[in-house]
Amino acid sequence: MTLPPLSETQLDALKEISNIGMGHAATALSQMIGETVYLRVPRITIADITEMPDLVGGPEEVVVGITLRIFGDARGTILLIFPRESAQQMLVRLIGHKPRGLVFNEMSASALKELGNILASAYLSALGNLLHMTLIPSIPLLAYDMAGAVLDNVLIELSQVGDLALMVETEFHDQSPSEDVIRGHFMILPDPGTLDVILEAARGGHDG
Amino acid sequence: MTDKQRVGISEFRVARAPAILVSYGLGSCLGIVLYDPRLQLGGLAHTLLPGDRPGGRELRPAKHVEGAIRLMVGELLAAGSELQNLTAKLAGGANMFEAQNPAAEDRIGSRNINAGRQVLERLGIPVIAEDVGGHHGRTIELDLATGLLRVRSLRIGELCI
Repeated sequence: MTLPPLSETQLDALKEISNIGMGHAATALSQMIGETVYLRVPRITIADITEMPDLVGGPEEVVVGITLRIFGDARGTILLIFPRESAQQMLVRLIGHKPRGLVFNEMSASALKELGNILASAYLSALGNLLHMTLIPSIPLLAYDMAGAVLDNVLIELSQVGDLALMVETEFHDQSPSEDVIRGHFMILPDPGTLDVILEAARGGHDG
Repeated sequence: MTDKQRVGISEFRVARAPAILVSYGLGSCLGIVLYDPRLQLGGLAHTLLPGDRPGGRELRPAKHVEGAIRLMVGELLAAGSELQNLTAKLAGGANMFEAQNPAAEDRIGSRNINAGRQVLERLGIPVIAEDVGGHHGRTIELDLATGLLRVRSLRIGELCI
């Protein structure tokens, strides 16, 4: 699989699709935590899988990773990566306190998985609507470790068939300007064929 | 200043003392060390997968355990080493996500470890130390002056094998 030459237009279309998906996710998240949350997609990248650890802050950066498989008309993997500080801030909003020390307890792990579930479901439902496909997420799995280690598990699965991943960077904001921005990386790792389908739909979406 | 050289995913590197070879954040990936103590010469590979991708011609042979070991042995022999002087160490091959693929032997980390052991056995290179499996990521540093492999992890801390 070689890197498809993506035009500015295609990247814009992908960004638009992702913005719509993230809009749905923001609504769901706002309902879950009871305050308005804004999600923004500042950057979208199609990257070689070997570069992914550097794109999320370096292979030794401590992160929370939540992964889900995509089933239905198209196959792939979703991977959400939150830097440690962002995951902790997210937990303050979700369950009212942040975990001390290294290990997330069952409660915070479960809250983070639920977060992954909501974001993925909302994104997939928007993407599915645009592409006229049924896309269903699997149950979420969680890991908390060095970014390189959290990523390679998913990259391995992907690398058996291709060398590319689509990475949608996401920022979370709430209304209070004093709060730090919570950053996350939302990655769609399409199985072969799926990226082409998305790009095809993105191109069609732009022409229409 | 120490000469620290990074070995990225799907890469391998051969060097001599006083160099240090480093691979950051191995999860299910397998880090493979080959070392010749007489020449203080060795190599480190950061491999993703046990075997070749079915059908396709591989652009990065060092992505696979077998390809990486063969390429590394080739470079070490070309640099003056002899096969009977080489020793091996393995690190990595973890299972990062809980509840993923319940059958242990099917997990990619375990398959990488087994592939590494098998290829090395076939070549007659003894595996003298291992820190493999588990559920945690590892950063590994090979000191070519001593052949020692320093393994760092978030939860378990640091050990030397």
